[in-house]
Amino acid sequence: MRIVRKAAVLAIGALALTACSNGTAEEPGDDAPATADADTEITLWLNGGDTNDELRQYLIDTFAAETGATLVIEEQDWNGLVPRLQTALTSAEQTPDVVEIGNTQAPTFTNAGAFADLTELYAELGGETLLQGFVEAGSVGDQVFALPYYSGARAVFYNKDVFAAAGVEVPTTLEEFTQAAITLQQANPNGVANFSGFWFPGQDWYNGLPWIWEHGGELAVQEGDQWAGALSSPESQEGLTEIQRLFTEGTNAPRDADSNEPWVPFNNGEAAMFSAPTWARWSIDLPECNKGVAADDTSDAANALRAEQQACNESKTGIFPLPGMEAGTPATVFAGGSNIAIPTMSENQELAQELLRIIFSDDYQTMLAQNGLIPANTDLASALGDDVYAQAALAAALDAKLTPPAERWADVEGERLLEDFFQQVASGADIADAAATTDQLIADTLN
Amino acid sequence: MPGQSTGRPVAAAPPSMSVAPAPAVPPRTTPVRRSRVPRLGGYALLLPATLPIAVGLGYPLVVQLIRSFQEYGLAQQFGRAAEWVGIDNYVALLTDGYVWTVIARSVAFCLANAALTMAIGMALAVLMSRVGRAARITLQVAMLLAWGTPVLATMTVWQWLFDSQYGVINWLLAEPFGMSGMRYHSWLIEPLSFYGVATVIVVWMSVPFVVFTVYAGLLQVPGETLEAAQLDGASEWKRFWLVVIPMVRPVLFVVALLQIIWDLRVFTQIYVLQRAGAPTRETHLLGTYIYSLAKEFSMAGAMATIMLVLTLALTAFYIRRMLREEEL
Repeated sequence: MRIVRKAAVLAIGALALTACSNGTAEEPGDDAPATADADTEITLWLNGGDTNDELRQYLIDTFAAETGATLVIEEQDWNGLVPRLQTALTSAEQTPDVVEIGNTQAPTFTNAGAFADLTELYAELGGETLLQGFVEAGSVGDQVFALPYYSGARAVFYNKDVFAAAGVEVPTTLEEFTQAAITLQQANPNGVANFSGFWFPGQDWYNGLPWIWEHGGELAVQEGDQWAGALSSPESQEGLTEIQRLFTEGTNAPRDADSNEPWVPFNNGEAAMFSAPTWARWSIDLPECNKGVAADDTSDAANALRAEQQACNESKTGIFPLPGMEAGTPATVFAGGSNIAIPTMSENQELAQELLRIIFSDDYQTMLAQNGLIPANTDLASALGDDVYAQAALAAALDAKLTPPAERWADVEGERLLEDFFQQVASGADIADAAATTDQLIADTLN
Repeated sequence: MPGQSTGRPVAAAPPSMSVAPAPAVPPRTTPVRRSRVPRLGGYALLLPATLPIAVGLGYPLVVQLIRSFQEYGLAQQFGRAAEWVGIDNYVALLTDGYVWTVIARSVAFCLANAALTMAIGMALAVLMSRVGRAARITLQVAMLLAWGTPVLATMTVWQWLFDSQYGVINWLLAEPFGMSGMRYHSWLIEPLSFYGVATVIVVWMSVPFVVFTVYAGLLQVPGETLEAAQLDGASEWKRFWLVVIPMVRPVLFVVALLQIIWDLRVFTQIYVLQRAGAPTRETHLLGTYIYSLAKEFSMAGAMATIMLVLTLALTAFYIRRMLREEEL
């Protein structure tokens, strides 16, 4: 036992030493020049492949031209990002100098003090023109720590042939949408087993949110310095009643599934509509359009067939932004996307700020839009193009909303409280009871 | 013993051992020194094993204990001072009825799974010792495959099997067996049926270990003893329970102990099944519950310490018994 204890003391001592070396990290002076030689290197962490190679190359080249320093971009996986950031951002040796973070994860790290204050830079980088919901997610009081990077919103895809056969028009209000789903499901023009008007699995709370928001409800509200769950409010309850109606009459999707891959049942003809980010257009593969091209065949003939197949799929599939309460207005939907920030521990604050200036330049923002992402700067969103997908994405995104900017919101998602709650609603539970229980759990988690 | 150790090396390797002082030293030293020198040497030999354990296991354990008495979350990770809160974390957890539900669930799940695994594993081991060569090899290969496939890969397969929309199990029940009500049955949405599925998976994964270990134990039972028992008129059944089982009991003890420890801290299977669509809060076991607390390091630390105590309490009986048997 004595040996064990000694080793533990040694290990703690070693850790204390490294902790000290973190503390002595050199703070760059405010007047340090923003240019450096090519040996100076800063690291940018981007998540997943949304920022494509063309965008990355632009950042690397522009950064080298403007500052003379080298930019290294490291791609991180969205899966397990939070624990990785928890460890990397606390160490001056490991931290990236600029980091992308999911918008619902941003409040947790912002409140923990992980990011440097960007308030002085805010106006210069776009100020009010930036996506305000994302700015809120990255702010504490009047101070801004994490800025929006890009956004993507959900729109509804539908099968045109099934709509025509069932005599259903594209709905223009939220009420009409629910009715359309129910009518489609009853009509089931192709006689498919287990057919859904709208693919709405039991744990898919992201796609249920518009009903709560459109009826004036919220997930959680701040009262003083405390958070309270708001699912029991009369407005939320109205929305939840509609959601339950949609669950019972408008869908046959399993109650034990989530929003993953909603195009699978759509492609199988088992659902007439589904809701997803607009890039889901590349996953639509209707049997009547499939040309049977092998995935690894890159010959000209195969590419031509593939283009024909995509055109066929897109001609048979329509898209519209989920309609709101009033005819002609889009519903407030959940905004996916990410924020970007400079970790406090980074030793290259000046160069990191230079990189942010490049990212928020009109050129780069336009490039983001051209690649189908909704840019942080809303003035430049028109560069998305004018096809139906861009239009639907834009209409949905401009009014999109985020989860509550509570410090511990990530914990609510980690504990899957809303997945559980929506599953209860889908299973026909008493909405008032389920909401009261979940409100309590949300309050316990957030405070 | 001394005769053996001094005699053998000399005979086996004369050139290199000619300078070896070890056998020659003991007679010349005084009795006091003689007992001290090998002792220190023994401890030194323990060092390479103890050090990694102390660093790899002891350090996290100490940190976990320290944090469990603090308020330690993400903000503290970023340098805010951690506040000492005494036993507040433990009080908060142990006065929460939900925590007791999770503990009760975990213990029940663990005991049921360990018992089932042991029963099936022993039955298969006995079967393996009685069947012919071809059947035995088939069994062994099947067991090895179940044991050797990576957990996450097998979990994906199980998840697909039980999928409510496209799963084979539902299809089988509905089509060949005509139970059309089961066509879109959701296996994971009711906690009891969730634990049923989890039990099938956990038992399936742990049975091979029990089978191989017990089978190895059974091979050690001398045939003469059994033959003698048979001559004395013991029936097949009596020979198994009164001769074979007592002889392999030490093996059974160790295996059962490991099963209880493993099944109490089961994590991957439950976590993956929860993500496959189960109601999370109603299906938490200790492992997944601690993981869900993990952003509040201090709470997770306190809960993990409670789980450690629970594991020790559950296995104390076994460990005491094992130590006693070793002394004999």
